Amino acid sequence: MLNTNALEKRLRFAGVCVALGLLVEALCLLWATPIAFVIFVGIGGLLIFIGIVVYLYSLASTFSVPE
Amino acid sequence: MLHATTLILCLILFNAALIAVLLTRPAITANRGGKILAFVAIFCLPVFCGLLGVSREMGRAKTTTFCLSCHTMEDYGKSLLVDDLTHIPAAHFQNHLVPADEACYSCHTEYAMFGGLRVKLYGLKHLAIYYLGTPPAPDKIKLYNPFNNRECLHCHLGARSFEEGVVHNADPATLPAIKSNQLSCLSSGCHELAHDLAHLKGAKFWKEGL
Repeated sequence: MLNTNALEKRLRFAGVCVALGLLVEALCLLWATPIAFVIFVGIGGLLIFIGIVVYLYSLASTFSVPE
Repeated sequence: MLHATTLILCLILFNAALIAVLLTRPAITANRGGKILAFVAIFCLPVFCGLLGVSREMGRAKTTTFCLSCHTMEDYGKSLLVDDLTHIPAAHFQNHLVPADEACYSCHTEYAMFGGLRVKLYGLKHLAIYYLGTPPAPDKIKLYNPFNNRECLHCHLGARSFEEGVVHNADPATLPAIKSNQLSCLSSGCHELAHDLAHLKGAKFWKEGL
């Protein structure tokens, strides 16, 4: 089982990634150019994806059985 | 469209506020309520916001202004305003035979399964060429495939002007040939005048549309 500090660290990292991704997506929604769509998906989407994966991984690690 | 963007932005702000709470007080995730909050803030809402955003961006990618925002497309935009209704794009755009705010997409999408997705992928390819490669001169741009009558028939099939058109019915074989895409709508002698960029310089333009 993960200790609370490690879990909090991962949650924090996931939160920062998701928040940055959301920020990028918000800016792209306000910026109506073709390149905005690429940044929306390529950077915003990627940051959110990384954040979600880290979050889900931290959840999975929490419930892993120690050897 | 603007309201949709505002709503998505509000949702994103709300999501960001929830994440800020988690970042400043991570200890709250120790209890059940905090865990649910984290799940909503870091998983549910971002996915939802992302999907809404993609949908919004996809909608925006269909607009005429979006297509014409690349310099390469400027002349194509001008060709919509030619003051000569024998030009097919001009006639469709100026008479609102296609939605004026989605004029390019209405004719250049593919009305087939996954056609919308395919043209979006073409669009991404165009973006890559525009930003990373060398975009061709406007008059050198060609369609990937010859224009399919399916795109015209999406609207015109069943329309009286099409079904009972004098030229379409002059020969009994013409209408079936058009419907089966064996005779292109853009064939020489038919509706061949599309984006006639070569003659744009001397053309008159519809002033109200400028």
